[in-house]
Amino acid sequence: MSYIPGQPVTAVVQRVEIHKLRQGENLILGFSIGGGIDQDPSQNPFSEDKTDKVNGWDMTMVTHDQARKRLTKRSEEVVRLLVTRQSLQKAVQQSMLS
Amino acid sequence: MPEAPDVLEETVTVEEDPGTPTSHVSIVTSEDGTTRRTETKVTKTVKTVTTRTVRQVPLGPDGLPLLDGGPPLGPFADGALDRHFLLRGGGPAATLSRAYLSSGAGFPEGPELRDSSSYGSLSRGLGVRPPRAGPLGPGPGDGCFTLPGHREAFSVGPEPGPPGGRSLPERFQAEPYGLEDDTRSLAADDEGGPELEPDYGTATRRRPECGRGLHTRAYEDAAVDGGELTDERPAFPAVTAPLAQPERAAWAAWTGWCGASPSVDSARAGGTLSCLRCWPMRPPTCNICALRTRVSSGVYGSCGGCHCLWRCWTTRWAEVRRRACGALRNLSYGRDTDNKAAIRDCGGVPALVRLLRAARDNEVRELVTGTLWNLSSYEPLKMVIIDHGLQTLTHEVIVPHSGWEREPNEDSKPRDAEWTTVFKNTSGCLRNVSSDGAEARRRLRECEGLVDALLHALQSAVGRKDTDNKSVENCVCIMRNLSYHVHKEVPGADRYQEAEPGPLGSAVVSQRRRRDDASCFGGKKAKGKKDGEMDRNFDTLDLPKRTEAAKGFELLYQPEVVRLYLSLLTESRNFNTLEAAAGALQNLSAGNWMWATYIRATVRKERGLPVLVELLQSETDKVVRAVAIALRNLSLDRRNKDLIGSYAMAELVRNVRNAQAPPRPGARLEEDTVVAVLNTIHEIVSDSLDNTRSLLQARGVPALVALVASSQSVREAKAASHVLQTVWSYKELRGTLQKDGWTKARFQSAAATAKGPKGAPSPGGFDDSTLPLVDKSLEDEKTGSRDVIPMDALGPDGYSTVDRRERRPRGIGSAGEASEKEPLKLDPSRKAPPPGPSRPAVRLVDAVGDAKPQPVDSWV
Repeated sequence: MSYIPGQPVTAVVQRVEIHKLRQGENLILGFSIGGGIDQDPSQNPFSEDKTDKVNGWDMTMVTHDQARKRLTKRSEEVVRLLVTRQSLQKAVQQSMLS
Repeated sequence: MPEAPDVLEETVTVEEDPGTPTSHVSIVTSEDGTTRRTETKVTKTVKTVTTRTVRQVPLGPDGLPLLDGGPPLGPFADGALDRHFLLRGGGPAATLSRAYLSSGAGFPEGPELRDSSSYGSLSRGLGVRPPRAGPLGPGPGDGCFTLPGHREAFSVGPEPGPPGGRSLPERFQAEPYGLEDDTRSLAADDEGGPELEPDYGTATRRRPECGRGLHTRAYEDAAVDGGELTDERPAFPAVTAPLAQPERAAWAAWTGWCGASPSVDSARAGGTLSCLRCWPMRPPTCNICALRTRVSSGVYGSCGGCHCLWRCWTTRWAEVRRRACGALRNLSYGRDTDNKAAIRDCGGVPALVRLLRAARDNEVRELVTGTLWNLSSYEPLKMVIIDHGLQTLTHEVIVPHSGWEREPNEDSKPRDAEWTTVFKNTSGCLRNVSSDGAEARRRLRECEGLVDALLHALQSAVGRKDTDNKSVENCVCIMRNLSYHVHKEVPGADRYQEAEPGPLGSAVVSQRRRRDDASCFGGKKAKGKKDGEMDRNFDTLDLPKRTEAAKGFELLYQPEVVRLYLSLLTESRNFNTLEAAAGALQNLSAGNWMWATYIRATVRKERGLPVLVELLQSETDKVVRAVAIALRNLSLDRRNKDLIGSYAMAELVRNVRNAQAPPRPGARLEEDTVVAVLNTIHEIVSDSLDNTRSLLQARGVPALVALVASSQSVREAKAASHVLQTVWSYKELRGTLQKDGWTKARFQSAAATAKGPKGAPSPGGFDDSTLPLVDKSLEDEKTGSRDVIPMDALGPDGYSTVDRRERRPRGIGSAGEASEKEPLKLDPSRKAPPPGPSRPAVRLVDAVGDAKPQPVDSWV
């Protein structure tokens, strides 16, 4: 999907629930994240998954740091993510068409 | 009734409360302009029935009472209301002459403190105060506006100059009038009726500040809260409780007096304020409330609201004073500096200081110091506060509350510090002003007893293991600020300057422990080191003999403080305190003078290095930064350098690695911190092959290379490259490096882009209130300016809006404003906290933006 800045976007999302692992005294998720509104999107090192929400926190307008913080809150053992990805969108569209 | 003007005998009819016998001084100015100052003993008798001559004062179309120049002393003849309005100007005739009104006597004049006497007399008449439901506060529980003798604290000062014919109208309004007036006084914009809250309800203009009232006292004094002070008439409280006639009359009189401005907003403000001015008598909740609302709209300054407030301060009515103070504090709160400037222009600072000296009411003191805290976040006011208030704050608050005794009695146990709100506010204020530059520092250092008291307080805190509170934080910050550039600024510093370390003075100081040069990390002996460095001679820290104990600013750099700071670093969990203590050590270790040498060695001997290294693991950026820079300065001492290189390298590298790829959640460091760590690494690998080997062993090279490659920050990259360049300069290591797969290019490439001598020094931007901690080491003196952040360059004291980051007055920690005062806080503090910009990160080296910052990814 293409995003036009400033325009509302509709997206197909997938809910993902992850329980954090305990590593030492920290809770980790086990993956890396990249991006953020303060980052250059063309250099996004990772896949096309985009996170829309984390545990209810909006992730569509966050900087990298904020995103990381929201994912790594110590107090939350579970993160519920709403992710969206292009392939998902396409799959849904196709299934709707057919 | 007394006829003679100078016989003031009055009988006050107290509706409910018995009067309190008081004596007061009144100043009566006869109509011919002569002034008599009379001391009167007042005997109040309680009468339950009041018969008064009630005169309905006809109001003119403009709301002003039509004065008919009533009989002199006529009202005085009235048992109840006599002396109510002792006019300065008139003898008993105290009539509110229209001439007076029209002459506009007085109001827009300067601080009306001198009017206190007249207020005093007024208040006498108003001996009755409707009973207050709520506690009156620390004042005498008189529950009325009586003139308790002790209120004279700041009562009449020197006789005021020629009274501007200020007369108080001696009009009494009949009760019925009062009631009517209630209605009338509720102007259209008055929303509310009487407010029963102390939160001054100017209903219409209720603003958050207003809402709070000075205290959350349950003033259920119906009489007090009242409608808003409207233009024409001050809201006449809907007195349900019997409001003493005199008061009401006074009120009405005042109303009439002030009268009249058309109801326009600005005029309202003016009218309100002028009403306020002449209204010292009763605790005008409404007045102050209205004032506050006006304040927010910026009318304050222009309308001379300060004058009003100050006049209120001098009133005998404790409540008025408190509310005035509260209002002022609210005014001073906030990021908006206009009000602060207005306060300054009205001469508020000296007035506040005077009030502090005079007031014994703790609440007032809290408010005053809170206001000063708020004001101190405003840059132009800092020196003003120092000029007027330093002595007072020190002697009235800091010294007494710290437990320090100037002439300690040998037998007595040292007193503990009292962590009062007043102390907190005052220490907060001094914290802010201490960041104002060299002159400010000099003044504070030289203020007699200040440093001693602060140190005593801190030691008492450590002793009681109570090191996390805000007052301790403030004190440590002051100490840090005052330690900045001690080597340049204290008198006599020249004596101690050392071009190179020389042998120490001969004498042995008895207190010093002669320790072996045992490393705090474990048994490294200094003797083994052939270092020809400064501290070679300082193995046994021979300090110059002191003939007398150090005092004053000398205490700042005595090695004894090292133990204090290290204790704070060990015990406190308050990040600001940790940062400040590390910063103090950093400041003290900088500088090319003898005391710094001692300090550096003392830190080592006191086993301080492990404490600092452990703090490198802190999750708080600013702590890591301060500690890193402290270690850097400490490593000017050769032995320290070796120790730090061995034992701290792992932590430092870990921080670098975190910067590049945070392995733990939340471990991403700020740029300034990373640069500080890199600079520290650079310092310890310079001129030390061993340390560089340690760096390699700690796998620092991959981390550095990765940082250079991936960092978004130009400064970080430069600093990292600088380290790499230095590493490469050790030929002995090149073999090892190449064996590990590193090429020269890796080390040189970044270096090529790194401009500037010392990488990108991180000045370590600090909060307003604290001085820049960075004080580069000697070698960097020339380029050190880069590292030293001029204090003025720091942003506004974040402190100001302290607490709560709004709370200032209440101390930053305290709950701030919310409770009673407005949540202003200059800085984080409550209420008018000083603007609290949290930290202006001063970047000395501009990050020449990369066109496209490297993508950052985090491990979560």
